[in-house]
Amino acid sequence: MTRRFQNSDLLEFEELVRRYQDRIYNLCRYMIREPQDAQDAAQDAFLKAFKGLGDFRPESSLYTWLYRIAVNTCLDHRKKSHRETSRSEPLTEDLPSDEPFPEQLYESGEIAESIQMALQKLPEKLRAAIVLKEIEGLSYEEIAEVLHTSAGTVKSRISRARERFRHLLKKNLG
Amino acid sequence: MISRHMDNELSPDEKKDLDSHIRSCASCKVELENGRAIHQMFASARRFPAPYGFATRVLANLEKKEGLRPRRLISIRPFFLRAAQVALALVVMTIGILSGNLILEERTNPVGQTAVQETFSLELFQAMPPDSIGGIYNTLMRPGHER
Repeated sequence: MTRRFQNSDLLEFEELVRRYQDRIYNLCRYMIREPQDAQDAAQDAFLKAFKGLGDFRPESSLYTWLYRIAVNTCLDHRKKSHRETSRSEPLTEDLPSDEPFPEQLYESGEIAESIQMALQKLPEKLRAAIVLKEIEGLSYEEIAEVLHTSAGTVKSRISRARERFRHLLKKNLG
Repeated sequence: MISRHMDNELSPDEKKDLDSHIRSCASCKVELENGRAIHQMFASARRFPAPYGFATRVLANLEKKEGLRPRRLISIRPFFLRAAQVALALVVMTIGILSGNLILEERTNPVGQTAVQETFSLELFQAMPPDSIGGIYNTLMRPGHER
């Protein structure tokens, strides 16, 4: 299949798009939030994938390669887009870690919305790491491959991302 | 370490040590519970499927931006699929027509013919059967009947 991709076979590319479109679009929805922007980013990611088929290395897995393109496209898209209203804001003060988690979120029925809002305020690297882990269910090694970094860095980013995410949720809930 | 524990990334020894520590450390216990709550929250969050027609739009963009003509190539497989579907439909229709003819042939034998005629003949239709009010009225009004 990979070899045929390198020959830029459009039939195989269509199969690739249909197979991964849900996962890539879902990733973009949590990375970018706005549906139209997420859709644009997902489309751009596939177009870049088509152009970059020749650069694909068979030793890496196809979906981590696609995820890498999608994550980078989302990050680029956010930089270019002026539609984004909320910006990443570093937390200057950490809350005590033994505060209880806000239970009312489970009753709100807007879990995805709350997650998306909090994610947009995370620094890019942390956001990408936690989305790949919690939303896409990738292992540390796979995330390291997607983000071009070490598994140790991924562990650290996910741990920090979870901590900041929890604080942001509390902040959003007032 | 708690984060790795939630992701099942600890070795058995590390897990044992952490479990032992958490039993005696209220702060770490709360941290683990909070971490699990976040994990559960993500797990129960909605997954967004690609919008309808997404793949088609990607391929159309490819055609537009790259000057490729994926429609012609990409439509080959669906064409074969459609052709197979049409062929299957024709086979089913042919079998249906042939079966219908066979049944008709069976019904056109002398015995069958009578049965069909008896079933569908309008001549046998009685608008006013003899035992109905209309039938009794007709009988009474028939010439020669004693009033």
